[in-house]
Amino acid sequence: MKSLKSRFRLLLSLLLVCLAAVATTSAQDLEDAQLLHPKADSWPMYHGDYSGRRHVNFTQITPQNVSQLSLAWVFQTNQQAQIKSSPLLVDGVLYFTVPENIWAVDARSGHLIWHYHRPSPKGDHIGHRGVAMYKGWLYFTTPDCHLISLDAKDGKVRWDKLIADVDKGYWTTMAPLVVKGHVITGVSGDFDNLTGYLRSFDPDSGTVQWQWNATPPAGTPNATTGGMTWMTGTYDSELNLLYWGTGNPTPVLNGQTRPGVNLYTCSIVALNPDTGKLAWGFSVSPHDTHDWDAVETPVLVDGTFHGQPRKMLMQSSRNGYFFVLDRTNGKSLLTIPYGPVNWTTGIDKEGHPIPNVEKEPAPDGRLIAPDEGGLTNYRAPSFDPRTGLFIVSAHPSWSIYFAKPSDGAYGWAGADYGLWGKGVLEAIDYQTGKIRWSHELGEGGSGAGVMTTASGLTITGDAHGNMLVLDTSNGKTLWHAGTGSPIQSSPISYELDGRQYIVTSSGGLLFAWALPESRAHAQRH
Amino acid sequence: MNKFKAIRAALSITAVVASVAAGSALATSAKAVVAQSHTDSPVPKDPGAEVYAKHCAICHGDQREGNLPGFPPLLGISHRMPNDKITELIHAGKGRMPGFPSVKDAELTSLLHFLTTGESAQTAAGVSTPGATLSKAGAQLFQQNCAFCHGRDAMGGETGPDLTQSKLVRKDRTGDEISKVIHEGRPDNKMPAFNFSDQETRGIIAFIREREAEAVAHPGGRRGVSVEDLQTGSAAAGKRYFEGAGGCTKCHSSTGDLAGIASRHEGLELEERMLFPPNVKNKVTVTLPTGQTVSGTLAYRDEFTIALKDANAVYRSWPADRVQYKVDAPVEAHVDLFPKYTDNDIHNLMAYLQTLR
Repeated sequence: MKSLKSRFRLLLSLLLVCLAAVATTSAQDLEDAQLLHPKADSWPMYHGDYSGRRHVNFTQITPQNVSQLSLAWVFQTNQQAQIKSSPLLVDGVLYFTVPENIWAVDARSGHLIWHYHRPSPKGDHIGHRGVAMYKGWLYFTTPDCHLISLDAKDGKVRWDKLIADVDKGYWTTMAPLVVKGHVITGVSGDFDNLTGYLRSFDPDSGTVQWQWNATPPAGTPNATTGGMTWMTGTYDSELNLLYWGTGNPTPVLNGQTRPGVNLYTCSIVALNPDTGKLAWGFSVSPHDTHDWDAVETPVLVDGTFHGQPRKMLMQSSRNGYFFVLDRTNGKSLLTIPYGPVNWTTGIDKEGHPIPNVEKEPAPDGRLIAPDEGGLTNYRAPSFDPRTGLFIVSAHPSWSIYFAKPSDGAYGWAGADYGLWGKGVLEAIDYQTGKIRWSHELGEGGSGAGVMTTASGLTITGDAHGNMLVLDTSNGKTLWHAGTGSPIQSSPISYELDGRQYIVTSSGGLLFAWALPESRAHAQRH
Repeated sequence: MNKFKAIRAALSITAVVASVAAGSALATSAKAVVAQSHTDSPVPKDPGAEVYAKHCAICHGDQREGNLPGFPPLLGISHRMPNDKITELIHAGKGRMPGFPSVKDAELTSLLHFLTTGESAQTAAGVSTPGATLSKAGAQLFQQNCAFCHGRDAMGGETGPDLTQSKLVRKDRTGDEISKVIHEGRPDNKMPAFNFSDQETRGIIAFIREREAEAVAHPGGRRGVSVEDLQTGSAAAGKRYFEGAGGCTKCHSSTGDLAGIASRHEGLELEERMLFPPNVKNKVTVTLPTGQTVSGTLAYRDEFTIALKDANAVYRSWPADRVQYKVDAPVEAHVDLFPKYTDNDIHNLMAYLQTLR
């Protein structure tokens, strides 16, 4: 027994030494160059790359052979929490999370390498989006607002820093973004009147480099609070600008105490990642009173707009509008709804929706489209460069919003109730905002994000828990699999040993899909 | 080297403190036994608790409360990991936690039982002030798991209803109904099911009760919608809309299905039903390749599968592309109305429906 054990130990330590050797040589490669140009066998950040397009260049799985797509492996977290994170893939290892937990899993086989669990009695456990990585280190946010740096080899904690004060009402769920030696983190918390901000940490020491505040300090007269920064942004290295969406103002449903546009809540902002200085900001929902965070991915696209070459930023926003901006200066190119919206009186000449005061929450109720969850939410959209389609999982929906003086001016300050909604995948022509095709996803709606491939596939999920592979040119279903629970994350893809994998999740399970090995090989030759 | 020594010193100090604490805990449970000694049989000592006290309490606390950040609490461990995982941890250890390979067989079983079922912290403390401690434990669970949707104060938040004004909460004095909703979820309303122990569920319910009492004690400054808020419309205009532009009489009648509706439902609930009735059963007729037709209540529909419950309440399903089917869902007329309503139409309709008593 004893000798067996010691032999096992020896084997284990040998294995660890080997792993460590591989990990130190290759994980060190996750430097700036790798983040700027991710390799095919990696998914080194939340959105896969800095553009946020969630479009992969793989052509192994095609509309012609996708009928053969099959399960490579399943990983079971054995936990109740739903996976809402996008895994990272670096050097053959997947890293993904639920609140309080990180798993490191072999991307080839799906077997566990290590699991980190840190109980966090305080703070909201609504979800977790994943980790960030730089060199050989992971960066993890916790419900009680800590930023923890761990060794990617074994999950050992290197340092533990504070992002925010959980006792004031903040919590954190987001996957940090690493840009040129800055670990950029955001915060959540709109149950209290708090300032939203981004905080940049030194990747090695964890010291704070800068902080950008979305709103003035609480208590500033006639000013808003809020503008939480709970989704990962994007980055343009040529312009050296970081793009981030900000959340709703607080108090949430009562706008009386915060007159005006409420900058920079419900906005898209461009910041210098070295200093945190604001370059420009664009208000997506001026004076929001419906909780429509504008944190959805700021997708970066280089291309022509109405015949002119442009560096663009696109967002399908929670408030129901699709925005195309010139990302060099934040000027609007297009603002157009992509589903039912009834809360504006039009669009102003700078491209901002004009909120209808009659549609602010009232004591006897106001019928509002979309509902509080919005026409979309944290689930990622995808931009397909070949077709010029911006594809988003939309949620046409109706709700009633109430607010009265006795609801006060702190935190929620009102009440709202969803009435009805459904899920529809919308393929938007970015030049015109016209819907090229729609694909019904079912009553209620779907939480699954979208990914497109260069071979013309669109991958997402429906309201029932089916994973769907569609033809990007027309939205027709090519393949599906029931996964047992609605999908609450966005798909990723990578190529390992010449085999393309697509990774999706549902409930507490992570699924890897691929063509059968023989097919994958045939496809390579 | 020094660091290591310091840790060892700290551990041995912790050990002393822990054993003192364990002593007082034993005293507490002894008291509990005395307090209950008038009952017929003496309270048997949980063998798992003894195993725990011997091996685990020194780090994880004598009440399993843990000592963060170094030593995780073990309360509620059963939600976080299955028994085989716990066993693996006990045997192999993890990080600074040593393995206890000698804990096996009956000892292991009793320890697992203690870890996954007993809730000594709350029960022991509960001897003195049951309500307050229970709701305090429940409050923490509520903040972690429920607050995002139902609000930190249980008075409603993102998407979840105000539980202090919930009919179900008010009517359910035993807690059985609330417990059922917690454990089974409400799939139609997107509420997930939660795997809490009975004790934890009692804690959450105690917290909800506390919030309910607080809400009743301090009316006025609260969120939510009262019946009085929904009286701004004109019943006459509502009747005209009902019979005219709304097209409501295509399906409904004020003397038929809606007769007395305002006696059965009121306030926000009536308005929500009016705008989109919940849980309506739709009909479906499926035509099989043979030409045979089967009709029933629509049970499931996605792109790939159509299912119904037939006249005998038997569930039957088919691949959607192998059959023809027709769904009869008159409730969808409510969806068609959403873009057509003005807010006044809604308030007027509401005023009219409230006359149907």
